Amino acid sequence: MLEMLHRYGPDLLTGFGLTLLTWVLGTVGGLVLGFFLEMARRFGPRFWIGWPIRAYVEFIRGTPFLVQLFVLYYGGPLIGLRLDALPAGVLGLSLYGAAYFTEILRAGFDAVPKGQIEAARAIGLPGRTIVWRIMLPVMMVSALPALVNFAIILTKETVILSMITVPEIMFQTQTMMSETFAFVLPILILALFFWGFVEVISRFGRRLERRFTHYLLEES
Amino acid sequence: MSLEPTATSPASAHLRAVNKFYGDFQALKDITLDIPPGKVTCLIGPSGSGKSTLLRCINFLEEYDSGEVRIDDRLIGYETPGGKRMSGRRLREMRCDIGMVFQQFNLWPHMTALQNVAEGLERVRGLKRAEATARAREALAKVGLADKEANHPSRLSGGQQQRVAIARAIAMQPRIMLFDEPTSALDPELVGEVLAVMKQLAAEGMTMVVVTHEMGFAAHVADRVVFMERGELVAAGAPREIFQHPTDQRLASFLQGYRERNSLDF
Ligand SMILES: Nc1ncnc2c1ncn2[C@@H]1O[C@H](COP(=O)(O)OP(=O)(O)O)[C@@H](O)[C@H]1O
Ligand SMILES: [Mg+2]
Repeated sequence: MLEMLHRYGPDLLTGFGLTLLTWVLGTVGGLVLGFFLEMARRFGPRFWIGWPIRAYVEFIRGTPFLVQLFVLYYGGPLIGLRLDALPAGVLGLSLYGAAYFTEILRAGFDAVPKGQIEAARAIGLPGRTIVWRIMLPVMMVSALPALVNFAIILTKETVILSMITVPEIMFQTQTMMSETFAFVLPILILALFFWGFVEVISRFGRRLERRFTHYLLEES
Repeated sequence: MSLEPTATSPASAHLRAVNKFYGDFQALKDITLDIPPGKVTCLIGPSGSGKSTLLRCINFLEEYDSGEVRIDDRLIGYETPGGKRMSGRRLREMRCDIGMVFQQFNLWPHMTALQNVAEGLERVRGLKRAEATARAREALAKVGLADKEANHPSRLSGGQQQRVAIARAIAMQPRIMLFDEPTSALDPELVGEVLAVMKQLAAEGMTMVVVTHEMGFAAHVADRVVFMERGELVAAGAPREIFQHPTDQRLASFLQGYRERNSLDF
């Protein structure tokens, strides 16, 4: 067993690293894109922007991530989009995440009491300031748990990138399994890794939640 | 952006033949009304008569469909009467001269009382943090809440929240203040503290437009009372004329209904 760890250790570490990297980039990319989609939908022309975004969200939510990834990676070159596996994987994750994140943000923004926005407009605050200083912090109370939850779901979607040969942790453990015919150890390593990974994110998420809700919990 | 006001003389407001529709429903019918500077004008009338809509046209939170609304002589909302919308920047510039206080207070829950008041000073008036904080403290002191500056709205009573909301508006040094039923969401014992602050503002010569069901306040503090019904301006005059000698039949029955519900009042 030690010999196996010695042999595959470096590859596994690369795998861990790549899984973390794709998750971070995919989540950040998805959040940023999701935020822009929501802003476009909220403040842009309803027909020319609202409708295509809705179709996009429905497509992403209506098909498996694996299929979307194949479309991007193998179908992309047909329209001149030739990407390596890693960038294709990160882009795929971002596009996938954006559809869910934008829906969470929409519900969050909708839940901001209209009067609080009117008070900001009445005082003369510009729209951008209202979004950043009032709407985002207010909606985080309700939206943050859902955002963190989906970020956790995304950790597990990263394994699908192994299907387009991104050498992340799933890819490495599969290689290990097929070369050694050992199953218990690789699966155990994989499980432990994800368990720790998700645990760290949830802790961080709870910290963030406390930050945004502290004023509701204040002692008098 | 720095919109530091040079002088804070009270402003007047002028509505000319203002109409407002919600779809087919006409909420304001040909309203013509002058709000004199430095005076208190109370808007009364049954619920749904268009009082809030009228008030909100004055700072263009509600877009009127035709007519003119002017602050002093500056048209608000449109570049020319019936013309195209004015730029967001010019509208914001006009709005920071117009304070507004809402029935539901509408404080920002994630900010302390002090931050609520300082926000506009920093981000609209363009004051430095220290100066904004100092001026926000002055405004809170003025409404009697100097000791509550660190509280979030959830840790303030309704009356205190409304006073913070008033402080948030007056800190901007507006030239006219709009109040939309500022005491209607308050427990009866908290109404007095808010009205007291409003009386003080009136005494200082602020132009005030107050939508209210507090007939006592309208009778004793207002310089002018305006009665609305079904989107129409039905009667306007000095409080004495309106309350003691109502000539209009609809006004008389509105007042009678009010007196029957509050059998002890005025
Ligand atoms: N956003 C809106 N959409 C449709 N109708 C509205 C809207 N706002 C107000 N109204 C209608 O306009 C009328 C006047 O409303 P409002 O000005 O709020 O009355 P008041 O403040 O006197 O109670 C009411 O009949 C109300 O139902
Ligand atoms: Mg109203």
